[in-house]
Amino acid sequence: MAGGAHGLIPAELSLAALAIVFAPKLAARLAPFGVLGLAVFGVHLARQYRDGFTSQVQYLFVPARPGAWGAWPVLAEAGVLFVVGLWLLVRPDAPDAGLVRALAARWLATGRAGISTVHALLLIPVVVLSLQLLGPHAWFGHEVGGLDVVLFDLTVAAAALVLIFRSRAWAATLAAAGLLVLGAYGWLIAVFWPVPGFAYGFSDLHNSPMPAPLWADALEGSLLLALGLWLAPRVMRHHLAPSDLELAARAQQLTKRVQTLTQTRHDAVDTAAAELRRIERDLHDGAQARLVALGMSLRAAERMFASNPEAALALVAEARETSSRALTDLRDLVRGIYPPVLADRGLADAVRALALDTPLRTELDVELPGEVEMPVGAAVYFAVAEALANAVRHSGARTVRIHLRHAAGTLQAQVTDDGAGGADPVAGTGLAGVERRLATFDGILAVSSPPGGPTIVAIEVPCALSSAKTSSC
Amino acid sequence: MRVVIGEDLFLLREGLVKLLSAHGFDIVAAVATAPELLAALVGEQPDVGIVDVRLPPTHTDDGLRAALQARAQVPGLPVLVLSQYVEQLYARELLADQAGGVGYLLKDRVFNDEAFTGAIRTVAAGGTVLDPEVVRRLLGRHSRTEPLTRLTPREHDVLALMAEGRSNAAIAQRLFITEKAVSKHAAGIFAKLDLAPSDDDNRRVLAVLAYLES
Repeated sequence: MAGGAHGLIPAELSLAALAIVFAPKLAARLAPFGVLGLAVFGVHLARQYRDGFTSQVQYLFVPARPGAWGAWPVLAEAGVLFVVGLWLLVRPDAPDAGLVRALAARWLATGRAGISTVHALLLIPVVVLSLQLLGPHAWFGHEVGGLDVVLFDLTVAAAALVLIFRSRAWAATLAAAGLLVLGAYGWLIAVFWPVPGFAYGFSDLHNSPMPAPLWADALEGSLLLALGLWLAPRVMRHHLAPSDLELAARAQQLTKRVQTLTQTRHDAVDTAAAELRRIERDLHDGAQARLVALGMSLRAAERMFASNPEAALALVAEARETSSRALTDLRDLVRGIYPPVLADRGLADAVRALALDTPLRTELDVELPGEVEMPVGAAVYFAVAEALANAVRHSGARTVRIHLRHAAGTLQAQVTDDGAGGADPVAGTGLAGVERRLATFDGILAVSSPPGGPTIVAIEVPCALSSAKTSSC
Repeated sequence: MRVVIGEDLFLLREGLVKLLSAHGFDIVAAVATAPELLAALVGEQPDVGIVDVRLPPTHTDDGLRAALQARAQVPGLPVLVLSQYVEQLYARELLADQAGGVGYLLKDRVFNDEAFTGAIRTVAAGGTVLDPEVVRRLLGRHSRTEPLTRLTPREHDVLALMAEGRSNAAIAQRLFITEKAVSKHAAGIFAKLDLAPSDDDNRRVLAVLAYLES
């Protein structure tokens, strides 16, 4: 308490400032708990005053003075801090809001549909307890048995009974709210208000001279709170249309989906940009450069035709050779952008062509009754190509099996080799790129490669098949 | 020699017509689409058809399909298929009917007009000409079938050159051996691949096919 007696000291404030400057994310994460801690400290402080604490203390914005009412400003500020702390914790963009929301959603989901008479009957103890705590005998002194008090109690009880039998739902709603408020009140008394003679709970119903002990208040408060927490989701489920709950769940799913899409779109744009840069560079260093050389050779030959026909002829032959190389460059480039066989024949034949070009024994198992969309087909084609290239380069395999099929709305490709295994999927930047490309189509790539093999690269992309090409080839 | 040309790009089509006319070929039709090509091949039954793989209407492999269809209707109709790229897959499809008279070359082979016209004549005579690029890729693979593993490295070389459509004389020149030695290797290849003695051209095709099927 000694530190608290001085209020917040500059050292603590500077520590908070440092955290905000140097670790803003961590600070944002911790802030709600700090504010809630301050609120708890406020309650504690107020309690100290009630117990006869005599020093004057600055509690954040308000001063607390000894005396009967000195603690109230502290208590009020603690309440405000409590609300602020809670808000910081549950506001939509709070760092831990996901967790809080998930817990809240789980709690809400515990409520089953349908409210029975038993639920509504919980209103009776709530009414009895409320009358005891807040009823006329509490206002007008202890005139238990007075006609006015009895009449009032009877009226309220009758109203409650009518409500229970006319509208179970609203009775249960009132009961849930009452249970939560009264339960919290019981805890407040137990923690903060143990004034001798203060009545709370059923043990005090008969105004026994000895009030129940504090632990009994806490126990009863806990029971009421638990009942309230059990009943509240049921009631909320009843009042919210079922679609509201579904909407909330859907909203959460959609939020997740948007996050995924944002990420994959970002990756797709990056990949496309990198691809364009590579194409530009390849063209610049390859075909373009060769065409320049071609033009220069032809120009030189042009000048030499008269003086040195032999040399001119040699230059023209060189030019022809250069044009051939330019074509080879372009062919390789096109193959890397969009393989012609894929454009001509679709995925199944393109994978067959890949298998033919693989210098390993290949076993092919293709079941593709239709054609896949072009971008998906290209992504899967390059994924299979990369997996095959890895099998050739690293595994020491002799045989590689390629499965390609479409089942349950998913295109599945599997490349299995009988090599040494132990491949690290993280190490291969090639596979990482393939994975990003597949992710654009919600596709996944998984690698299983235990030491000793076999290495299995599995690819799955959700997609529909269009009708097969109308060719017989 | 009567030739039908199927090529959709005007510049290339006219270039081919000029080149082949200059070498004494008789161009009976030069068309730009697959249906026209099929009609010309079946109608004219030329000594050889020169076909671009990618043709209208779909601009995919229509030319190849038209050539295969024409060969289905006129068995053994010689076709030389040209393309900007080569695929083993297409080579297999062309050779699948085992009738010979098939060529499959990259378009840039046209630059070397002597080799190109030589290839046309080989195909017209029922031979098989595969682009060195296809053969190179074939060699990149390990042999998968039992008979091919029995070939000696030298027989392998001879078979690869055979696939490119070279005559025994050309193979001899290329490998710096006598033509007689080439015939001996060829006989060895035919024996190891269990190809019964028959017309030599056909056996060469079958040997190449065995190579492809490996």
